[in-house]
Amino acid sequence: MSNSPIIRRRVDPRAERAARTVLTGPRPRLLRQPVAPTTINERRRDPRALRTAALVQHLPRPRYDWTRDAASPGTAAPAGVAVTAAPAIPLRVIAEPAYLVLAMLDRPGGEVSEHDRQVIAAARLLADGADAGGGGAVVTVATGSGAALAEAGSDRHVALPEGWADDYVPERRAAAASALMAALSPRHILFPDSPDGADVARRVAAAAGERLFTGVQSLSPDRATRQSSGGSLETGHRPTRLMTVAADAFAPLDGVRHEARPLDLATPMVAGEEVLPRLGGARRLAVDPDALALSEADFILSAGNGVTDWQSFAELGEALGATRAGSRVVCDAGHLPRERQVGASGTVVSARCYLAFGIAGAPQHLQGITGVKHVIAINTDLHAEMIKRADLSIVADAQDVMPALIRLIRERRND
Amino acid sequence: MTEAVLSNVAVLLSIGRHPVSGRARRGATDAQALEMALALRPRRLTAIHAGPAADADALRAYLGMGLERLTVLVLPDGADPVEALIAHLRRLAPSLVLTGRQAEDGEGSGMLPYLIARGLDAAMVPDVVRVGPADASDATPGKAAIVQALPRGQRRALTVSGRLVATVHPSAPPARASAFGPARRGVIEPVAVPVTVEVTADLFLSECEHRPWRPKPKLMRVKRGGSALDRLRAATESKSGKGQLLVNPTAEAGALAIYDSLVEQGMLP
Ligand SMILES: Cc1cc2nc3c(=O)[nH]c(=O)nc-3n(C[C@H](O)[C@H](O)[C@H](O)COP(=O)(O)OP(=O)(O)OC[C@H]3O[C@@H](n4cnc5c(N)ncnc54)[C@H](O)[C@@H]3O)c2cc1C
Repeated sequence: MSNSPIIRRRVDPRAERAARTVLTGPRPRLLRQPVAPTTINERRRDPRALRTAALVQHLPRPRYDWTRDAASPGTAAPAGVAVTAAPAIPLRVIAEPAYLVLAMLDRPGGEVSEHDRQVIAAARLLADGADAGGGGAVVTVATGSGAALAEAGSDRHVALPEGWADDYVPERRAAAASALMAALSPRHILFPDSPDGADVARRVAAAAGERLFTGVQSLSPDRATRQSSGGSLETGHRPTRLMTVAADAFAPLDGVRHEARPLDLATPMVAGEEVLPRLGGARRLAVDPDALALSEADFILSAGNGVTDWQSFAELGEALGATRAGSRVVCDAGHLPRERQVGASGTVVSARCYLAFGIAGAPQHLQGITGVKHVIAINTDLHAEMIKRADLSIVADAQDVMPALIRLIRERRND
Repeated sequence: MTEAVLSNVAVLLSIGRHPVSGRARRGATDAQALEMALALRPRRLTAIHAGPAADADALRAYLGMGLERLTVLVLPDGADPVEALIAHLRRLAPSLVLTGRQAEDGEGSGMLPYLIARGLDAAMVPDVVRVGPADASDATPGKAAIVQALPRGQRRALTVSGRLVATVHPSAPPARASAFGPARRGVIEPVAVPVTVEVTADLFLSECEHRPWRPKPKLMRVKRGGSALDRLRAATESKSGKGQLLVNPTAEAGALAIYDSLVEQGMLP
């Protein structure tokens, strides 16, 4: 419901009469002119006005949108977005930290990943821990600025050189972490247990001669646990100095705001740049998208029963460099092999982008794409479920759009 | 002579543990490491296991892959194998050391290759799927060309100079089957640890407490804050209606919208 209800002025005869009364003479007299009403009952809501403000459609049936801002009737709020202004989250400042907890983030390609947020959440557990007295500060270490990390729970931020975001420089990162370990003497250093993060963590641990507690699954100020013996045992120990945090073990924070104040420290960069790297010439190799397992693919081109032009579909997959997949109907008909089926009885995909041609969006199919970030749907039916799910929906014939898209890609590639 | 780069190869083999039956077996990635080493056809290939001599029978599966002999550094139960391995490898001076990714039994922290790389002053490359000598166009001799596996099926090529320790990724070429005859005929050669090396028990592990692992409930993304209605929405509604909608555009306009959206997502250059 709306926060600012419409106030309607109500006539209050007694109050008006009292305002006109002059008590100076021998008996009370009434003034002719009514005095401007002094008080309005602020508490009073006007349900009728609220109702008209929420009305979005008269015919054939009245429809109300109660999330709309009542103060500006007529402007429809974007659906799905809460209109009530989010209450400002109070800023938490830790001015004099009792100790520091370092979170060395991956930030692949400059983006703060979900795993990075989870590592910060784990670091907060150690920094705010009641048993250890609390009052610790979380220092994030990553490429790029810390502004995006304030809402993830970072108190201080150390920026690594911008160029390290895209290059493969584990030796430099490890040297920077070791230098920070010496400069700040943090109580704990946490790394994400991702391929790159765990690699750096092990390098740091080997250089420091310290024990690394890998893949932490649960954490409190006096106990950390991990899986060992191939996953059959749970091993507990008090938190060591160096730990890596398993993926999806901690919920990322939300509804917090910390300052993420930049720390101007040159030591990590200097130490990093001084290293003479033995690994060099790193470059990504082109991989055949159709050889990838569907669950691993990052970009999927998918066909449903609305596709009849399989020649164009194959060409489009090649032009886009996308992994081809399909709905169950398509795989049942033999247009694509069974392991290319997306959905409940096929593969649950986690692609970043899913381009769907002629797929209706049955619940069994949508289940398979819940983890997809960006969905583009092309369908002739405006009311298809897939059109509702998609971030970009195009109501058009797939057989027309596919060749046009191929032409466009070839054109752009040539010039 | 580019071949000289990878002519002396050592493989570190551990005893694996079947995830369901719990029986001792060859470690999955260790076997792939041995496969990679055999495929390189080095002039000298040494396979080493460090551990109690009693376990040696489980190692015969590696011999069945076509290995003639396997060195076992005999250590007492629960001892830390790192120092003993470093001392032994220093004497062998291999140009490439291949290991599995993580032990299937015991602590399984994946630290051993890193500690060995440090002890040998070698470069360390994780998650390797292919190793070969750098091609002739790369003029510097003594370099190895490596392909590394990344998440999402991606691959990265690297060149490494000097001595190298590499761990093998599960998507490397699969290990060949182990044959019974060669497994029986192969020689397991126990070697005593050099006296200079002090074999110490692992204190950290004895400090830890162990209990059977119980699967934890899956983490759900719960949204905090906002009104009750917002939270209910976030929990129940799939993301819908937010998107851009084009109704009956021309094929060209539709294609352009898709193209722009793909470029924005970074899927097309
Ligand atoms: C137990 C069970 C498990 C299942 N598991 C799965 C699963 O894992 N994966 C899965 O996908 N399905 C699964 N299904 C099937 C699912 O219910 C649907 O039947 C199926 O997903 C529909 O596929 P579709 O969208 O391709 O075809 P349809 O439902 O036929 O939809 C075709 C769509 O294409 C559109 N269209 C038609 N012509 C054109 C054109 N020229 N251009 C553009 N659009 C056009 C239509 O408007 C329609 O929306 C399962 C079903 C059951 C019962």
